[in-house]
Amino acid sequence: MKKLLLSSICALGAMTGSAMAQDCEIAFGSVLSLTGPNAAIGKAIGDAGQLAVDQFNEAGGAAGCKVRYVLRDDQGQPNVGVDAAKSLVEIDGSPVILGSIASGVTLPILTSVAVPAKVTQISCCSSAPSLTELAAEGGTDGLWFRTLPTSRPQGIVMATLAHEAGLKTMAIVYVNSDYGVGLARDFKEAFEKLGGTVSQMIAYNEQQPSYRVEVNAALQGEPEAMFLVAFPADGATVAREWISFGGSSKLYLSNAMRADEFVHAVGADILVDAVGIDNAQISGESVSSFDAAWEKRFGSAPNGPGLHTMYDATAVALLAMEKAGKPNGRAIADNIRTVTGGEGEVILPGVEGFTRAKQLVAENKPFTYVGATGPITFDANGDVNGPYLIWGVKDGKLTTIDTWDIPRVDAATAAIEK
Amino acid sequence: MTGILLYLVFFLIVTLIYSIVVMGLNLQWGYTGLFNAGVVAFYAIGAYGTAVLMGPDRSTLIGGFGLPFPIALIGGMAAAGLGALIVGLAALRLRDDYLAIATFGIAISVQLVALNFEGLTGGAQGLIGLPRPLFSMFDSPNGFNLFYLGFVACMAALVYLALQTALGSPWGRLLKAVREDETAAASLGKNPAMVRLQAFVLGCTLMGLAGGLYVGFIGFVSPLDFLPILTFQIWAMLIVGGSGNTKGAFVGAFAVWGLWSVSGMAVSKLLPVQFQSQGGAIQTMLIGLLIVLTLLFRPRGLIGESETISRHAN
Repeated sequence: MKKLLLSSICALGAMTGSAMAQDCEIAFGSVLSLTGPNAAIGKAIGDAGQLAVDQFNEAGGAAGCKVRYVLRDDQGQPNVGVDAAKSLVEIDGSPVILGSIASGVTLPILTSVAVPAKVTQISCCSSAPSLTELAAEGGTDGLWFRTLPTSRPQGIVMATLAHEAGLKTMAIVYVNSDYGVGLARDFKEAFEKLGGTVSQMIAYNEQQPSYRVEVNAALQGEPEAMFLVAFPADGATVAREWISFGGSSKLYLSNAMRADEFVHAVGADILVDAVGIDNAQISGESVSSFDAAWEKRFGSAPNGPGLHTMYDATAVALLAMEKAGKPNGRAIADNIRTVTGGEGEVILPGVEGFTRAKQLVAENKPFTYVGATGPITFDANGDVNGPYLIWGVKDGKLTTIDTWDIPRVDAATAAIEK
Repeated sequence: MTGILLYLVFFLIVTLIYSIVVMGLNLQWGYTGLFNAGVVAFYAIGAYGTAVLMGPDRSTLIGGFGLPFPIALIGGMAAAGLGALIVGLAALRLRDDYLAIATFGIAISVQLVALNFEGLTGGAQGLIGLPRPLFSMFDSPNGFNLFYLGFVACMAALVYLALQTALGSPWGRLLKAVREDETAAASLGKNPAMVRLQAFVLGCTLMGLAGGLYVGFIGFVSPLDFLPILTFQIWAMLIVGGSGNTKGAFVGAFAVWGLWSVSGMAVSKLLPVQFQSQGGAIQTMLIGLLIVLTLLFRPRGLIGESETISRHAN
């Protein structure tokens, strides 16, 4: 029995040995929720990663090898995700981990697998601010990136707007969820750095018939304006009560309230002084290039969360590996900012773009990848900024007052950080 | 080859941590017949207790006492034990499925508290940057993993030996007596309520210990770690391993958790590229199928309960 076991192990070893000699293959590991609470979006996100890998292979592979996309399911559970990530890194030898979706799965993978094993981790979809916090503390060792903008730039842009309008004291009223808490905190930090004072920070719980208590508390200290982080229905209740209790008509509104139902519920005439923010729809050649490739492959438009960001996460990792010339996690992380960020020839998504990028790597010339989410610049914590638009209400209708492109957002962020 | 070994070390750490939970549940269900459907609650209390006691100090949090790991671990266990005592006093009068419903509700409540008590647990963000015991002593993370495997293995062995001793004693027979026929046990002058409470608290303390060991290994904790499905996984380990037999805890944890990871690997290896994103669903079905087959062919688990026969009977 022992002999049999030994010989079969040897045979297995010989098999893998010969397989390696024939054609070299680099595994690219991805951990996503294909089943569980995020299953509805997970499958398509997995396909987006596959598309990027297939296109890169068509362009001739990365770091001299074919890339094999290995997709593992985390079932929405951290323990399953961590186990899958560990086996991707140790058994498949993947130099990167793409994923996961839920921050509660991404974080344990990062702390217990990616950072100890010095593997690059890029997420398409995890938005928790604690990831930024961990990176700022040095807990990610520079190996962590995400292609989805966090709420932080949104808070910074709004604080900058309020500062430019000459406001000195503001109240913040926010929805008690991780979105609301995060954005309120980001705004407060930025506004105070700019010399303003936040007089009150009041959280409210969703779906209450009235927010009189919260609004009255927010009015303490006579703030000149209010920053409201809310969803349309509750946001309208808060805004109406704020005005009726004598609050200032200068309202600063978060992205979710850019909806006609909000304007109707509050009353357009009350909202003439209000300004809001939202993510700007990105368009351009690089985006349509991805959209076209997706439609050709899957026969439908790439509608759904995480598709563009997952494609870019995969493409950036592949380009960085090509630039590094070897499947090494540390080397990939070090090259990610080299292949994005704005210097050299522009590379677009698709086989053509990747072929060109490979040429430029061979010639040792700089290039910058402009992806399915537009231009990408990772900051020191591995986060990206996105473009924003500023909206207001004119003649009873929602209108765009201003747009903030990425350089402008970056400049505002830099002004806060200095 | 080293890759597989490195993975195996990682896998065994997780398996041994689960086997401690299963031993705790085995004490409750396998020996005393207490249907605890809130396993994850006590695992969570142990995990958060340990995390709060050993975590770094943060201005936004109440906790962050920065205590050494062994003390934090004991603190986490104590917290789980205390939680179990309170729950036990209130809920243990309930029988069978009623107890299951009550404990299940408690598990959900504990998870919700973890999600909302932001000052203590970090809320949905979780607690980050938790130190791992002696991590800096090792040149490579693999050295740490090997050390931690040794540590967890010692803890599991300790728990096993202690349980074997306790269960072999008259107290162990008392547990079985309460499980089989409470009225008969009471007629012999025993106090079944007390026995049930003892088994419940002791089992939950072990779950808390496992939670603390998990946190020490992962270095992060969030409410997502304590979904109700984990209770199901632990139960599957107990049933597959064989309830009423402490060795079964190891076998069950190894078999079920192995099934979870091997099926994932197999699906990603064997499925053609274009079906990769369907792999998750196939894996879940495979797990279900294999558990059902195990139960069909080995209804009492891989290792069944050993019969208790008096030495003097023949």
